[in-house]
Amino acid sequence: MNTREWALIIFTTLAQLAVGMLFVLLIVRSYASRVLGADKAAAWTNTPLYSVPVIMIAALIASLFHLGKVMNVIGAVPNLATSWMSREVVCSVTFTVLTVLFAFFEWRKIGSAALRIGLAWLAVVVGAVLLVSMSATYMLPAQPAWNTPATPINFFVASLLLGILGSAAGLVATAKSQAEEAGVQDALKVVLKSCALAAVLLLGIELLILPMYIAYLSTQGLAAIRSIYLMATEYGALLFLRLLLVFIGAGVLAFYLYQKASVAGGEKSFGTLAYTAFALVFISELLGRVLFYATHYRIGV
Amino acid sequence: MAKQLGFFVDINKCTGCKACQVACKDKNDLPTGIRWRRVFQYEGGQWVNQGSSVIPSDVYAYPVSAACMHCQNAVCTQVCPSGAMYKREDGIVQVDANKCIGCRYCSWACPYGAPQFNESLGVMTKCNMCVDLVDKGQRPACVEACPYRALDFGAVDELQAAHGNFNAPAPLPDPNITNPSVVYNPNKVTKFTGDTSGHIMNLEEL
Repeated sequence: MNTREWALIIFTTLAQLAVGMLFVLLIVRSYASRVLGADKAAAWTNTPLYSVPVIMIAALIASLFHLGKVMNVIGAVPNLATSWMSREVVCSVTFTVLTVLFAFFEWRKIGSAALRIGLAWLAVVVGAVLLVSMSATYMLPAQPAWNTPATPINFFVASLLLGILGSAAGLVATAKSQAEEAGVQDALKVVLKSCALAAVLLLGIELLILPMYIAYLSTQGLAAIRSIYLMATEYGALLFLRLLLVFIGAGVLAFYLYQKASVAGGEKSFGTLAYTAFALVFISELLGRVLFYATHYRIGV
Repeated sequence: MAKQLGFFVDINKCTGCKACQVACKDKNDLPTGIRWRRVFQYEGGQWVNQGSSVIPSDVYAYPVSAACMHCQNAVCTQVCPSGAMYKREDGIVQVDANKCIGCRYCSWACPYGAPQFNESLGVMTKCNMCVDLVDKGQRPACVEACPYRALDFGAVDELQAAHGNFNAPAPLPDPNITNPSVVYNPNKVTKFTGDTSGHIMNLEEL
């Protein structure tokens, strides 16, 4: 694998985390506004929401390290008509600008609450288009290991899984400072139970996609079979570690998180479980992305 | 509109001497590791025991000289985010180094491995059919250097009229992906694209 591709591993993983977190946090914000009121909901969810533009800016900075000539980067958009990478760049920058604007308006209370939330939902829509563009960027006829439906499915599932567990970790952290606020702990339990269930479901999809992906690749010619061979040999240990971490994070720990959120007195374990689950899944998705870039083979010569 | 230019390679005449590859490196002053023209040595077959002898069975070998195919459906120009990769009126595909951001996306998309990243320049580089010579009415360095006159260049439709339209020798990829502007004259052992009976035997040279 080319060392410059580390930049893309970090960019794609962080961008997917940012899009997923914004989506999940806006749903939580909507729920919390109904059960806690708008002010308490904002106080609880704003800090994790503010982290979204920070994560996205970090992703964009990382992506620059992939380029051979950063000074020309401003010219990376004119080929929107045919280049998915151009579209990916435009969507990434638009998503970042929208999330920065949302965070600034929310912080300074500029405009109505509905307008600010509307801006954030617009960013989610752009984020979804970003994930589509990001997937299509890799779906090249010359790259059989990438040119499969598994690419968009994995990118969307990774975004949701990272977003759910990242949001859960952020909400647990901010709920500690809101401990005296009535209802926040109860709302947190409901949110954590939902997050845990969704994480287990997404883990199931990830584990289902892998054998289907390998079976499909085995029918796609020599370059695709070389990719499978690499996954099974040179990168076999990495694949095993990636699956083990996501299983522990999104399976075992999410299950315990659901259990603790269902019983009285389980709050003390929320932090340990939510932070560890997110960390393990984040590392697992990074490893999955390493495999993605390390095991692709171009057809031809 | 100018006619699409392309290369002609006569596999019957080519001996795999790599004079074209060396002439290209020399003329374009290419650094170590970058080869705009490459000569693939494709070989296959086996030796079998027959009594006390070991005899060749279907053993074959042939060279395939290949550079950028200046494809009519040039995927590199389609995927390039900055528009640095572009096609001239005469079909020659070039890189504008002042626009290239060095993302290497074109090298992922091209099944011929034509765009190659120059680390010291930070941009993609590729065969430009010696456009400076072509614009002066001269021939590309690789064509000039071939001692067997196995290489030629010109308008693709004229090359096809003279030599046929075969453009799919193994180990090259399926030409339907990019519609390459190239004509090959196969010899009697040349295999078709997708053949799995042989191997590229000189990978360390490519």
